[in-house]
Amino acid sequence: MTASSISIPHGHDHHGHDHHGNGDHGHGDHGHITLQYQPGLPLSRGKLIMWLFLSTEIMFFAALLGSYVVLRFGAPVWPKPHHVHLSEPIGAFNTFVLICSSVTIVLALEAARANKSSLAKRWMLLTLLLGTLFLGIKAYEYQAKFAHGIYPAVPHGRVYEKPDLYYGSAVRARLGEPAIIDRLKEIDEAPAGSLKPEQEAARGRLQQIRKIVASPDQQAFDLAVVADQVMPLPSDHAGGSGGHGGGHGLNDVFPELKLPVVIPGGNMWASTYFLLTGFHAIHVIVGLIVFSILLLYKLGRQDAGKIENAGLYWHFVDLVWIFLFPLLYLF
Amino acid sequence: MSDHGNHSDHGHAAHGPITRAGETADERLAHGHDDAHGHDDAHGDDDAHGDDHAHGGIVQYMFVFAALCLLTTMSFFTYSSAWPWRDQPQVGWAFMMAVSCTKALLVVLFFMHVLWEANWKYVLTIPAAMMAIFLAIMLVPDVGMRTRMVSQERALHMARPSDVKLMEQAAESGGVSAPAAH
Repeated sequence: MTASSISIPHGHDHHGHDHHGNGDHGHGDHGHITLQYQPGLPLSRGKLIMWLFLSTEIMFFAALLGSYVVLRFGAPVWPKPHHVHLSEPIGAFNTFVLICSSVTIVLALEAARANKSSLAKRWMLLTLLLGTLFLGIKAYEYQAKFAHGIYPAVPHGRVYEKPDLYYGSAVRARLGEPAIIDRLKEIDEAPAGSLKPEQEAARGRLQQIRKIVASPDQQAFDLAVVADQVMPLPSDHAGGSGGHGGGHGLNDVFPELKLPVVIPGGNMWASTYFLLTGFHAIHVIVGLIVFSILLLYKLGRQDAGKIENAGLYWHFVDLVWIFLFPLLYLF
Repeated sequence: MSDHGNHSDHGHAAHGPITRAGETADERLAHGHDDAHGHDDAHGDDDAHGDDHAHGGIVQYMFVFAALCLLTTMSFFTYSSAWPWRDQPQVGWAFMMAVSCTKALLVVLFFMHVLWEANWKYVLTIPAAMMAIFLAIMLVPDVGMRTRMVSQERALHMARPSDVKLMEQAAESGGVSAPAAH
């Protein structure tokens, strides 16, 4: 409606026929039309897209976490955290790191909104460093799994579900590999004092398990003894990590032998653990890339929207870890 | 949210602030909330106020951060030997899930600013949350109960509680001298 039609009140249904159909907020007293844009939702486009993306991410991680939960509680046997060399204090520390990074990104946003761009840059950099620290700790944890033969897939994985004949023959096959035969000969013939004391002590046990797996009438119990010698399953978590046998398995004393190990339920555990933490780590990496790109900006008031969207994403990553940590480390 | 069109955007409509056009009611709420806690001084020292940005505040973020750390310690406590329900893991699980949900709520409400958003937040979050729950429930019959009825071949190779017991017995027997008896 035009300024001349001042007698027509706002909001009535005539203005649809008008060629200035949108201008029902025009302020008549200035004699010209002010068009006002009304968004369908009271939020910016970037933020709307980010929230839509996050709601799909909710479902993505709900599927992963949901499958983990139903697999874990549907399984007849599930390994205890110590059986798979998970360290709760490290997991708790990683939670702390991620919470800290959530705070720093929020502070970066606050600083940017107050137009303190150098402060915002510093908080952003700190967020980036904390995220990198999280990934570093995660890599260290993965390394501990790999060192114990726990891999997400078969070519490297050395985890057997139970001490049965398949396990026994796997140990025998490993001991029969040329390189291992040479190494065993070295160990057997090493003069006293040339080996480390714990290796010296474990030499007899190594010879015993070779005898067991080579014997034609091996029993399930014998093979359980072999499995226990190769990598003992720590008894119930006794406050510290691994009260029994921590570091005394043959795989710990002779890491080069890489003998197959028995972890009941260990394969399904490895699949879910690496899938969940792997997808989470990918999200962390994407977040770090976004932060690196944001650091190229001035991070003043005009960039607050970008920081807000990146922050929303990062908080979501934090949120996923808040559920992952107890589910994986403490259940 | 119905009043969102009535306010101008304080002059910088290009990025973000459209969001805040309809926030007056919520803003007042945020202020009241802060005043109740007696630390609205967090707003006083910076220019963020002029930026139409009333929620949050560094002091409030620090409170949330402290709460999150405390809650993490609480769930970690279930792992310590002082946890009284050692023999009933279900108690610990329920406790940890309650703690995790509280933490998630704190992050979503304060860090993701959902507490101060207009009603669009329900449009996005509630359907997604319901889909997530249905998704998890639908996994139960196929995936969760897959070990109830398995083929004989699979049953042969999957770990059973008896295997864990066998491993424990082997560990107790104290090593390699035992097998000679069999």
